Formats: sequence, C-alpha cells, structure tokens
Amino acid sequence: MGRGYTVEESVEKYLTSLSAAAGSCKTGLLIGQCSAQKDFVVLAVKTPHRESEGASDSRRVLGPLDDIDADWVAEHARQVSRMLPGGVNVLGLFLITPPELSKEAQNKLKGLIFAVDKCISKSRLWDLSEDDVTDRVTLHICSKTRKAICKTYDVKDPKCSAKPADWKYLSCISSSWPVLTCSVKVDLQIPVTESSSEKCMKHGLGRWAKQIEAGLCLINGRPASDDSELLSGSKKSTKMSQQALQVQILVTEEDPVQRCSAVVQASSGSVHVRGTVHCRAYIHTNKPRTRHAAQAIKRDVVNTVSNRVEMLLEDLQMNEGGPASEQQDLPRRVFAPLPGSGLTVCDYMFPDETAADVAERLKEMLDWESAEEDIDTSVESPADEGRDDGAAQDVPIESMTEPVKQQKTSQYYAGVAVAAAVALLATATSLLYLNE
Amino acid sequence: MVLTENGSLIFRLRGVLEFSCQLDSSNETQGQSAICKSFQALRSRVSSESLVFTLCNSSVLLWPNKGLQSTAEHLTEGTPCRDIQQYREAEDGGSKKSKRKDKRDAGPSVVNLKLLWEVTESGESRALSLCRVAKQQHSARMPLCVDCVFSASGQDSLGSVCSGLVGALCGQLSDMEEVVLKYRKGSSLLLPQPFHFQLPESSGLVTVIYPAGVPDSQLLTVREELHGKYGLPSDRPYFRRANAFHFPDEAYKDGYLRNPHTRLTAPNVEEAKVSVVRGVYSYHHYMQDRVDDNGWGCAYRSLQTICSWFQQQGYTDRAVPTHTEIQQALVDVGDKEPRFVGSRQWIGSIEVQAVLNQLLGVTSKILFVSRGSELASKGRELANHFETVGTPIMIGGGVLAHTILGVAWSESSGDIRFLILDPHYTGGEDLQIITEKGWCGWKGPEFWDQNAYYNLCLPQTPKTI
Repeated sequence: MGRGYTVEESVEKYLTSLSAAAGSCKTGLLIGQCSAQKDFVVLAVKTPHRESEGASDSRRVLGPLDDIDADWVAEHARQVSRMLPGGVNVLGLFLITPPELSKEAQNKLKGLIFAVDKCISKSRLWDLSEDDVTDRVTLHICSKTRKAICKTYDVKDPKCSAKPADWKYLSCISSSWPVLTCSVKVDLQIPVTESSSEKCMKHGLGRWAKQIEAGLCLINGRPASDDSELLSGSKKSTKMSQQALQVQILVTEEDPVQRCSAVVQASSGSVHVRGTVHCRAYIHTNKPRTRHAAQAIKRDVVNTVSNRVEMLLEDLQMNEGGPASEQQDLPRRVFAPLPGSGLTVCDYMFPDETAADVAERLKEMLDWESAEEDIDTSVESPADEGRDDGAAQDVPIESMTEPVKQQKTSQYYAGVAVAAAVALLATATSLLYLNE
Repeated sequence: MVLTENGSLIFRLRGVLEFSCQLDSSNETQGQSAICKSFQALRSRVSSESLVFTLCNSSVLLWPNKGLQSTAEHLTEGTPCRDIQQYREAEDGGSKKSKRKDKRDAGPSVVNLKLLWEVTESGESRALSLCRVAKQQHSARMPLCVDCVFSASGQDSLGSVCSGLVGALCGQLSDMEEVVLKYRKGSSLLLPQPFHFQLPESSGLVTVIYPAGVPDSQLLTVREELHGKYGLPSDRPYFRRANAFHFPDEAYKDGYLRNPHTRLTAPNVEEAKVSVVRGVYSYHHYMQDRVDDNGWGCAYRSLQTICSWFQQQGYTDRAVPTHTEIQQALVDVGDKEPRFVGSRQWIGSIEVQAVLNQLLGVTSKILFVSRGSELASKGRELANHFETVGTPIMIGGGVLAHTILGVAWSESSGDIRFLILDPHYTGGEDLQIITEKGWCGWKGPEFWDQNAYYNLCLPQTPKTI
C-alpha cells in the first residue's frame, strides 16, 4: 500500500487558482509533516518567478518542461525550508502542465525531487534516523482536466520507481497541532584552524549539533525519549484547542575519545557564537510519540542556529576582508501565522530590517500577503536591548573595536536570501531582487 | 573494610566538562591567565542554574542551583538523602531489592549521579551574535572528567548533599586548574584526572588530581607532600594511582576475585588475635587465563597472588607475571636452564623468592620447618609478619604450595588457625563455592603434612611511598 496524504483544504483552493491561471507549466513545493501512519500536507507554494528573461528567451524553443530550472526550484525549496519550524518540512513538489505534457511530467518531477532533496540536505547538521520517511511526494495536475496524480519517490534510492499514493483533502487538519517551544542558550567558541572559516564553523556547529541530538528532552517536565504518547494526558474534548508544550533540553559533554592531553591546534582566529534562540516545533495529533516530538524540536534548535550562521557566512564571503575582529548580530527569528492553520512560519530579520521587509519576503517566498502587524517580532529580543555587559566581558580585549554594523539593508538582504543561488547562478543574481 | 558507620552513603557525581581556551604562544603570562579564565568560566557554569544532576538508573533529575528543583515529586531540599535510593530501586524490580539489603551490611551504598547541563532557559535572553577574532594563536580543548564524592549519613538532607557536591565540583575544578598550570609546557596541556583514596583511620575519601601520562615515579614529591599533609607513615604507598579507592558497586574488569577471605567469619579460638594480610590481592588459581596448569602450577599461582598484592598496593606498575614470564625470570637469574621456559616443572619457595626479587625488586625472608607439625609453633612469627609487613605468604612443602593470608593465634594457649588461600581450585570465580568448600578458609594445624618439611617465603615490603 502506498502512502496516504491528508491535505489541508486551502491547498486545494490554491492549486485550483494556480492551474486556472496556468498557461505554461508551474512548479511549487508541498509542505507538511510525515508520520508512520499518516502524512499531512498543510501548504503549497509556487516557485517564484525568476526574472531572467534574456536567458529564458533562448530556452523557450526547448519546450515548456525544459524551461523549468531544477536548480532554481531546489534553491527555492532550500530558502523555504529555512522558514519552516520544527516538524514541518518540504515533503515534495507539485507540477501543473497542459495535458499534452502529462507523459513527460512524471519524469520531470522525479528529477526535481532528487535535486530538491540534495539541496536541502546539503547543509543539514543532523542525521536522518531510522524513523525518518524518505519517500517524497509528487503531485501532477493537468491544467485542463484538473486531474491530479499523486506519486511518491524514495530519495534514498536513485533508481526507485514511482509509487502511487493517496491524496485527499480535509479541512482544519493542523489547527490543533500542539506547539512545542523552548529557548536555547548557545555559547560556542570555534577555533578557525584552516583557511576556510566556513569549514571550521560547520565542524564546530556539527559537534554542538550532535550534543543537542543526543540530549535528553523534557516535555512539560517529563522525559520524552520513548514511544509513549505525547498527548496521553489530554482529553478528547480539548482536541480542538491548540496545546502549548514547554520543552527543556539537557545535554552532556561526553567525549568518546580517551585522551591524555589537550587537543591543541594552531589557529588563525576564532569565532564565538553566543546568545539565545527561540525554537518551535509542531506535531500532528494522530497519536504522536514523545520521541518524535523531541526529535522535531531538537532539529529546530540545530537548524535555527546553523541557518543563521550560514546566512551570515554567505554574506561575509561576499564581503571578505573585513576588520580583524568584529562582533556581528545574527538575525532575529520572527514568526508569522500560517493562514487557515494553527501553524506559524518563521523568518530571520536583520537588525536594520523591519516587519515590512519580512512581509515582503513572505510574499516572495511563500506567495502570501501578510499584514505587518501579524508578524511576531517579540520572541527574540532585539540585539541592542539584549546585549549586556556580560557579552562585552568575554570579547577578547583585542576585539573591543566598534562592532561593525551591517551594510545597507537591501544589499544585505539580497546576499542572505539568495546567496546559494549566487553560487550556482552567478550571472542571474543581479536580476533577482531588483528593488531599484 | 568499613568506610563509615552503617547506613551511610557515598554520593558520587561524575561527568564531563569541556575545557577550551585560546593560548597566545608567544606570551607566557597571557597563557596563564587564559587558562585561569577558562577555569573560572567553568566554575561559574557549575554554580549556574543550568547545572543538573541525574540519578543513574532512574529518571530522577535534580537542579541543585535552582532551589533543588526535581522531577520527582517527593524529592525536595529537606528530604533525607537516603530516600533518593528508592527511585533507583523501583526500576530494578523486587528480586534485587533483597540482594541490596545484604550488601548494605557490608559497607556504605554508593549513589551514582551524572552531570548534565540544561541548555534551555526561561529567563533573560540575549540576541544571537557572532564574534570573530582574527589572531594567530593556539586553541586548546580537552574534556575534563570530573569525579566528586560526598559522604553523608542517610538522614542528611538532599539539599545539603547537593550543595556539598556542587562545592566539591568547584573545588575539584580549582585543583584541576592548579595541576594544569603546574604541568603546562607552552601550549601543551596535560589532562587532569581525579583519584579517590581511602586513608587509614579516616572515614571519608580524599580526592587528588594527577596529570595524565605522568607516571607515579615522577610524582614522588607530590606524594611526599600528601603524606605530610595527612600525617601518614612514609614507608608505604598511599597515594599511588593503584591505591585508588575501589567503589564497592564497580566490578573489577579483569575478572579475578578480590580478597575472598573477607567473606569468612573468624575462627572460634579462645583469646586468639586475628592477624591477616593488609590491603587488596586477587585470587589466582589453577586453570585461569586459559592456562591448564592443573597438577603443576600451584606455586606459580601463589606467586601471582603475591604479585597482585604488590601491584594493588602500588609498589609496582608491573602486571602480574604469566607462567612463562616467571620461568623466563628464573632463567635470567641463572637459576634454571633455558629449556625450563615453556616446561611444566614445579617451582618452590626459593624460586618464588628469586622471581620476586628479579621482577619486582622485592626481598623475602625464608622460614624453614623440617616437619609440618612445627608450623603450629610459628604463631608469633606469622602474626608478627601480618601485623608489620602484611604481605601474603607462599608456603611450599611436599608437592603442594599454598598461600597463607593470616593467622588466628592465642599467645596464652598457643592455639592457632591458618587462613589459607588454595591455588589448586580449578573452578570458576564463584565466591560462594570458594568460601563454602574451603578453597579459602581457616585451617587447623592438622592441615599440614605433619612429617613433610616446609619452606615459607615471606615477602618484605620496600620502604617507599
């Protein structure tokens, strides 16, 4: 038996509106949560239009399916997955084509699915567990008949063939998903021993990520490491209201390697990442296990830190050769409610950005209009308020120079949002965010 | 081996703290202060609310710096500390419960705790920042394995035990800092390792930090200071690593039984004074180490038991010698022809004396009796040996070798019993069989072949610390 996807009704409306407007092919992401018994799709977002007209003109002769740029779809998926809270993931893709392209559509989807998975998993600091579902969903929709075909591919196996899957709409599936939250204190000093600070950062963050992954998780004060049901205490009557669960994470600093002396490395400097991050995860209500809830929030902890560091490094690469020492504020995490569900998505706001910038990004990435006042910027304190004397104390004397403030917002934002695209498609960059 | 009065508990806290610091290779004083700063940071972490203790084999978590918050409803600051044990026992099931009760009479229970850190917090938060320092330096990192003990009586409050452990942890970090600084060579840092020692006439344990990789032989001045500090005699080791206290709840990994005689009850001899071996030995006997020496290896085994005593008392780092190593040593001293190595020939007390001298540098006195019946009159010499020297004695006579571990001797009546450890045992390491069937047991003078001659090898201890 294939997988069964339960899909939020709003997704149906969204896909219908897209296919009605469709002249050519359209791709987009399917977002939701997998579990052992059931899979849930809560959101569909189309791939944003890439304003690289010069290039596409020459390609058009190859036909509309070839016009779909796998790298661009994958990059969009990577950007969007940064905006998803714990437990919510990019599950697959949809593709809308005119009827004459239906035959080729399935092959195209398979190629895209693998490209997306490769791109998303590249920067991931945690390992997949045995429980993780490696099937990815594809939905092909015929723009004329509106007929939808749902199939899955196992991304573990490049030679896999499509498996049929069930796709059915239901209302309000995620409105009562419990939300797990915690604030995690980060204090990491990472020596830069190689020429590439990025490599060192990844290694240092990786060690920390392993600690978090192996950590003991308490949900509402109770250890959550087993197969017990997360919601066993709650009665059915409370099912319609969303439960908020407080998470604590406890770690050990055990080093499996026995040594006699300290590991000493010559380094060209160090990077100190410190502060507090707000973490959030959602879990479905279909008999979730505490173990899975713990895993979802831990992954969010790791992701939110590594994403932000990655965003900053991407920017630093573009502006190599700054001052010898500097303190930079990493972006704050802000949240926005996902319309028609109990979920929120997140974004990262740099010190000199406003909620308007976030709203603009949500429109760009997730294709929805959100009011500025809906964006919750209060979960993480702004850098200036939060910085106390303690921070200054630990900064080595040599680095007590003026913290270098970021460059102009627009430039910075462009760098962060599309840096990977820059690496892949250097020529297209300048055309992406033409704010001028 | 009674540590403290009955009903007392040893709380033992173990865990790992990661030490890291940036050393400026060109600047000595900077290095010193960087290390001090890093240790200071660790101490403040230990005093912070994120410190968590977990009771091993249970789900109990304690936040010692948060007014002793705990995950167990009934554990609060004022709870008698012995109550924490029930949370551990509850998971073991009923059958073990009775076993543990037996054990409790033998000595104090050990309550094992592990160190955890809470990374989540609810209070003030600071925005995430990234600070880059570009500077040529050395970054040093090492896992500090902390191991703290706190002895308490069962009625002491859990709060006082936990704050005692936090204090011990801070103290241990300071001791580690001292050792790291003392043995630092430039940017090379040695890992500080804690060892616990039980001293005579003392109820608690003393914890000492030694630098990893520095052999005992190079730590003599440190031990001299310790002997002075605790007023200990300077004729025997107390603070070598091999002297470290063995926690009753930890199994010996090598599989040999330790001090089986402690399970025996003293013999019923009027006005007798019991004098037995000092310290710890392991029981070596036939068929161990996959060596089939049944019928010829008894003296080798008795010698191994003696060697194990010297090793575990810290006199030597040398591992207990194998049969081949013993034979090679006898060839090396010219006592035997080279073809002796690998043979199945017996050895006697004189050979044992020679091997001890060759391999351990230990001299031995030889006591000779021409008839076994004379052994009954050697009570004074033997008692004196155990009181002053305390090593196991190897005795050989006829075709048999045994180990004497002690005597019960009445000065007034001359009545005597010998505590014998028999190397001829071929079975497994079953303490019950060994003590019940007399493989380790008290024997009367009739135990000896009354007409055979015997040689006793009485190893002497070198004056060393």
